[in-house]
Amino acid sequence: MLERVFRKHVFTKAVFKAVLYIMLVDITFVFIYPFIYMLVTSVKSVKDLNDITVIWIPSALEMKNYIVAVNTLSYLNYIKNSVIVTVLATFGHVAACSFTGYGFARFKFPGRNVLFTMVVFTMLIPVHVLIIPLYKQFSILGWINTYLPLIVPTFLGFGLRGGLFVFIFRQFYLGLPNELEKAAKIDGCGFLRTFISIILPISKSSILVTVILSVVWHWNEYFESNIYINNPLKLMLPAKLPYIYDFAKISSVELFALKQRMGEIEINIATAMAATFMVILPIFILYLILQKQFMEGIERTGIVE
Amino acid sequence: MMKPKLNMRAKHVLEGYFFISPWLIGFTTLFLIPLITSLIFSFSKFTELTEWKTQWAGIVNYTRAFALDVKFIPMFIIVIKDTLINTPFIVSFSLFIAILLNRDIKLRGFFRGLFFLPVLLGSGYVMQQLLGQNVNGQTIDLSRGIMAPEEIMTYLGANATNLVQEFLTRITLFLWKSGVQIVLFLAGLQGISKSLYESAYCDSASEWDMFWKITLPIISPVVLLNVVYTIIDSFSDSTNPVVDYIYQLAFKDFQFEYAAAISWIYFGFIFLLIILVFALIKPYSTMDEKEKNRR
Repeated sequence: MLERVFRKHVFTKAVFKAVLYIMLVDITFVFIYPFIYMLVTSVKSVKDLNDITVIWIPSALEMKNYIVAVNTLSYLNYIKNSVIVTVLATFGHVAACSFTGYGFARFKFPGRNVLFTMVVFTMLIPVHVLIIPLYKQFSILGWINTYLPLIVPTFLGFGLRGGLFVFIFRQFYLGLPNELEKAAKIDGCGFLRTFISIILPISKSSILVTVILSVVWHWNEYFESNIYINNPLKLMLPAKLPYIYDFAKISSVELFALKQRMGEIEINIATAMAATFMVILPIFILYLILQKQFMEGIERTGIVE
Repeated sequence: MMKPKLNMRAKHVLEGYFFISPWLIGFTTLFLIPLITSLIFSFSKFTELTEWKTQWAGIVNYTRAFALDVKFIPMFIIVIKDTLINTPFIVSFSLFIAILLNRDIKLRGFFRGLFFLPVLLGSGYVMQQLLGQNVNGQTIDLSRGIMAPEEIMTYLGANATNLVQEFLTRITLFLWKSGVQIVLFLAGLQGISKSLYESAYCDSASEWDMFWKITLPIISPVVLLNVVYTIIDSFSDSTNPVVDYIYQLAFKDFQFEYAAAISWIYFGFIFLLIILVFALIKPYSTMDEKEKNRR
């Protein structure tokens, strides 16, 4: 009797496991497909692009596409803009949001609950409602065509989803026992120094989560930067991509006419894909390095508790 | 005895305000004032564009949106329809995937890292291009053939093919939009104590029962969080036609007042929807008790 139950159990378990892995692999495929497509297409030569029998395996690796992509993007110039904005904005988010989150978690002051509700409220309001008055304010300050509208708000706990980061830090500090701070206070450590030299070093996991999300979102952002920055020389890297895609998508007839006028143009869908890959490459590398700590960080931060 | 205590208290309060002061400045200058300005804009008419001079115009902009603008209302309905259809799917898909990933599987780290890939590309231009999704919400080339080979499709005939294609494209989009939700669910699932499942197992509960009686009640706050996140995300997505319309109106046609009115109609609706979601889900959520226990 018992043996029969056991055997049946083993069988269902095996089937269950097989189904589980099939589903995982299938879903993985959905996620990875565009990447493979991007990588494969980015090394196709013009001949392969026009040959419909060549889908997955290019006849030769056309690395020239990457050189063209890097040149068309003026990669080194524009990556500099992107890096400046991303690094400063991320630093602003970490500094301001940990500071504010700590204030909301540890201190009881009149209006705290109302103000924290406001933090959640700021998360709910899409930037599109505020963008016109913000544009007005920044243009009065003369900040249009500078990176200040993208950077300064992060130092005040706003900017791209700043409310979320305040929320993350607040949740983390709520879960932190306050013995350390009490001990520091007894030893005569001021509140600011307590925060900087005791609290910040132990909030590594929340800082890491904030850094990754903030870097990724700032790197990919182009709605606000498109509005505040009109000067083509000051654009950020992702904002350069639409030009390349527009070029790549025009039909061969138009392209032929264009070639007649402007000489040889080498931009096609393969170079566009190579350019795309170059744009996401930095955050991709960052993610590969920090991936494990990031997942652990999210679990430890207790965002969802 | 009384006085130092009071001072301590006052000092504590001041320290609290000190810590939130940067945020308070930001809140006033980058949120409150713009919010009110935007509301005023939506009720006015610009007399001089370059100097931001406005004149009270009543509800002209709002009546224009509802009565005169032939583009806005159909667009708005599409966005609402899409959000209402997509949100339950995205949330349940991501819960399903998170449960799969939380099981004892091989290469768990690899799968987890991979499922977060969509977040890396975010809702940025890159992802739009890779999924071949343009602003009108039409999906083209790339999402085709992801899940079913084209060879099978040709047997089914054009009509069935389109239907299946549409269906698969939707699923692909759902999966691509559920990165953050998966991570949040995973974090929530990690917090459930293993002993609960063990005792349920001893009482011969099936997996199915365990899901409904243990997993779902405990992570219900995360479900609420994810529903709200998904709604906001889909409303502020850059592939969203209304968002694009607001951008066009404001920064291409320079009709700031009308764009402001439209964004307020839009925001008002999101806000109502979120309140509705809270009212619907909150009674089933255990969030309140947890918050109370913490304090």
